Amino acid sequence: MNKYTVINPHEPFKVINTHIHNVDGWAKVTGRAAYTFDIKLPGMLYGKILRSPHPHANIRGIDASKALALDGVKAVVTGKDTLGIKQGIWRRYKDLCDEQILPVDKVRYIGEPVAAVAATTEEIAEKALDLIEVDYEVLPAVFEPLDAIKKGAPEIHEGFERNINVTRHIEWGEVEEGFEEAEYIREDWFRCGGQAHMCMETRCAVSSYTPDKKLTIYHSNQSPYYMQGLMAGVLDMREGDIRVVAPYVGGGFGGKFELDGAIFCTAILSMKCYKPVKIVYTREEDFIASKRRTPMFYYTRTGVKKDGTFCAREAKVFTNGGAYTGMGATALYLTGFFHSFPYRWKGYRYDGYRVYTNTLPSTSMRGFGAPQAMWCSEQQIEWIAADLGLDPIEMRRKNSHQEGTILPGQATIASCGIDQCYDEITKWIKGKGKLPANRSIGISACGFMSGGIFNWFDSPYSFSSAVVTINQDGTVELHIGAQEIGQGSNTTMAIICAETLGVKVEDIKVHSGDTDHCPPDLGAWGSRQTLMTGNATKMASENAKKQLLEFAYAQSGLNIVYDLDIKDRWVHAIARPERGEDFVKLVRKALRGKDGQKIVGRGYYTPHRKGMISPAYSYMLQGVEVEVDEETGKITLMDSMTAHDCGQPINHLGLIGQLEGAFSMAAGYGYLEYMPYEDGKLMNPNLVDYKMIRAPEMPPANIAEIDTYEPEGPYGAKEAGEGLTNPTAAAIGNALFHRFGVQMKECPVRPEMVVNALKEKKEKEAAEKK
Amino acid sequence: MSLSGPIICPVCGKKAKTGSAIDCARHMFGTGDQPHRKWVEAQGLSFIDLLIEQATTPGNRSYVLLGEIIQKDAEKREAEKK
Amino acid sequence: MEKQLLRLNVNDQNYEIYINPKTLLVEAIRDHIELTGTKRGCDTVSCGACTVVVDDMAVKACSVLAVQAEGTKILTSEGLEVNGKLAPIQKAFLDEGAFQCGFCTSGMLMSSVAFLNETKKPTEKEIRDGIEGNICRCTGYNSIVRAIDSVAKGKYTEDKV
Repeated sequence: MNKYTVINPHEPFKVINTHIHNVDGWAKVTGRAAYTFDIKLPGMLYGKILRSPHPHANIRGIDASKALALDGVKAVVTGKDTLGIKQGIWRRYKDLCDEQILPVDKVRYIGEPVAAVAATTEEIAEKALDLIEVDYEVLPAVFEPLDAIKKGAPEIHEGFERNINVTRHIEWGEVEEGFEEAEYIREDWFRCGGQAHMCMETRCAVSSYTPDKKLTIYHSNQSPYYMQGLMAGVLDMREGDIRVVAPYVGGGFGGKFELDGAIFCTAILSMKCYKPVKIVYTREEDFIASKRRTPMFYYTRTGVKKDGTFCAREAKVFTNGGAYTGMGATALYLTGFFHSFPYRWKGYRYDGYRVYTNTLPSTSMRGFGAPQAMWCSEQQIEWIAADLGLDPIEMRRKNSHQEGTILPGQATIASCGIDQCYDEITKWIKGKGKLPANRSIGISACGFMSGGIFNWFDSPYSFSSAVVTINQDGTVELHIGAQEIGQGSNTTMAIICAETLGVKVEDIKVHSGDTDHCPPDLGAWGSRQTLMTGNATKMASENAKKQLLEFAYAQSGLNIVYDLDIKDRWVHAIARPERGEDFVKLVRKALRGKDGQKIVGRGYYTPHRKGMISPAYSYMLQGVEVEVDEETGKITLMDSMTAHDCGQPINHLGLIGQLEGAFSMAAGYGYLEYMPYEDGKLMNPNLVDYKMIRAPEMPPANIAEIDTYEPEGPYGAKEAGEGLTNPTAAAIGNALFHRFGVQMKECPVRPEMVVNALKEKKEKEAAEKK
Repeated sequence: MSLSGPIICPVCGKKAKTGSAIDCARHMFGTGDQPHRKWVEAQGLSFIDLLIEQATTPGNRSYVLLGEIIQKDAEKREAEKK
Repeated sequence: MEKQLLRLNVNDQNYEIYINPKTLLVEAIRDHIELTGTKRGCDTVSCGACTVVVDDMAVKACSVLAVQAEGTKILTSEGLEVNGKLAPIQKAFLDEGAFQCGFCTSGMLMSSVAFLNETKKPTEKEIRDGIEGNICRCTGYNSIVRAIDSVAKGKYTEDKV
């Protein structure tokens, strides 16, 4: 069904990369796992949000008196009931804090919250929405970045000339000289679509404000600490007076680490009536009023030598920012950075412009700008190879990053297994032999970061922290601020903790997702937790272990040249593993020696001297075998192969799941997941019309894992699971190119685009014959 | 009228690639810094509008347009020198 | 609308609830009987998160009224284990890592159970078609297909409860 192989495996471990069940598995397969969606507090009210039907309008007035008169309605809030503080996750930059979740005087996209109701039942709250009268002054609106940037376009935010929200310039090396050396230069123009995160659990929250002026929030999110900080900002409260709990979270994918209408409106409503309030987005609300992957226009110019040596590249990009900044500013940066990946250039230059429009704000989504960058880059590279008559794999290989590659001022690559990825992909292609006439193969390469070195949130805390506490019976409490959203971070951290301490995974109890009890951590985004929280967890575990071993040493009477270690709950001298002591017995003794105090280890991690972007980079190649029906343009994925370097795999079961999952989302972006807007209105905000990969569409996902060692990562580990969202769309495009010679410039590739491209090609060929 | 030598950038004095006007236009867009932008704006063009055109439509019309202006400017300056 | 008394049998347990006759089965199970393992992921009968087994058939519990389920035997994810012992499909999901965020898992398990009851020696394609109605945004489905396949192939026969 699928093949999973590890290339150069490294196996000195007791726990790491063995077959470990997900630590939350029992709860999840028995229906016990309670999500925010399932939470019900005594006396809880149900909230609903009234949303703007207009893409751009001034709010002249809101009359909620009829709604308030409805039996069962307990509170109605509008922007006037808030402090009107404009917030954003780029807290360091005031002008990028541009969003009031309940706007005071102006709406900027269809679906933006205008008012919220709390009532005794959801039905009453829904009815009340119809009774709220809003007096709008409808304003001219603009939906495409290239219209919004024109002179005279409607002004969406005051003071942003031509609606330009953020600009980004990245440049290194000798660009002009590079182009001068180039013997072949190719220019291409691309469009990349948006994509919905489509978390199975829609945005939802339960807030409970109590008379002691404390606020407790249950919220489906990726970073409880960010939520705590952002909510403290908009409510003008102290962070410590707000507790954010993210219980089991039903998916995130980059869409759940900014404030949303659910968390904000439940808090405001609860503060008004001192009762818990719950809001759950409907699927339609989640589509039209959460956020989405950033649609982009790309112009990219690449210069190479005739032998395929890459010289220089420059790109100009305009992105559809939608109505607010959010994480979109980071996507603008990262798309430009990863557009250079995974290759060496004499010079690289990127100019990106994020433009406000009256549409759903765009933001981070798994891949964080890189899927768009690779859609353009990896297709263009394939076309260049064809133009020059070179082998596309070998051309990529000779230009790829290597261990030690320096991107001036940006990054130094400390580990890189991409060379072996080329070998594995080549093997897979060769193993296929001759393909049936209606099939073709496309490949695509990429690299990705292991967490960002950005602190635009302006956190004074370490990026990650962990606390390890050893109980008298040898069980271990691991407190982390990392957020489990299904990607398996609780399991990863339990494995790292167990491996380091020398105990078993079942000895570790992981505590996460609660700002009251867990140390602050920037949370689950940018593939940061395995490396950053992993390092903090390892440090905390080592610290606790050191304290234990000090006692062991003191009582052993060993010569100090001997080293002690713990493996499988057995404390021993490394040179004489048979002589030792049971872990639990040692813990009990150590406690006595500490006057009864538990052994507590602390660990933390903040990247230093690792450049501008990330402490480490993963590398990968994606191959897809595609079948296309020429009549209908229907694309079917027949097989796939991923060659992947994530450093030392920590948990192969989790790794396989991450790669297969990333592939399905990435493939969806390539040919299914289309978000058409008309006059600012999303035309398919439901799961009937928004197509995505379902079980029958998913091909076998073969994986070759290249085991490398990343010096900055815990046990040599780095990113896995987000990076693979990047290459697949381009691989599908490349398969179409090899089959038909057509160049797809827009993703997702819909059937009619294939049909039209084939028609155009035939017409062109006919015209040339004449 | 043809020029006696390659075109050098009127802003920074660099010769871009072949020394043709269109390569100079590419260089100006590539640099995109304030002095180059100001020069483009001073010719009565909008830097951003040219950029949009370049980033979204094949055909390099922006480069051609700016190249023509650079060519004329170079010719004018050469004539002035004489 | 007048509330009415409804008797439902869920996981071999009889429940009596007073509900509005327009109440959906998923609402009865989640909000009245308070078995929250069954989820909801859409409003258009498209995601399968609310799938339960009604008289051996997989049913999307948002597509039927609770009153229509009177007299039937309903099985939800909470009813799969017996005395703390996991059912084969649950073990297989654990072994294959056939879940990530877990939000689709209850529905996916119930579709799998009904599918395996109907189809004794399924092909891979039959398995994929069998869970077509269930969306999983995390796993890419292949681990789920492997889990169902291993149960079908008898890997967990001795665990049958």
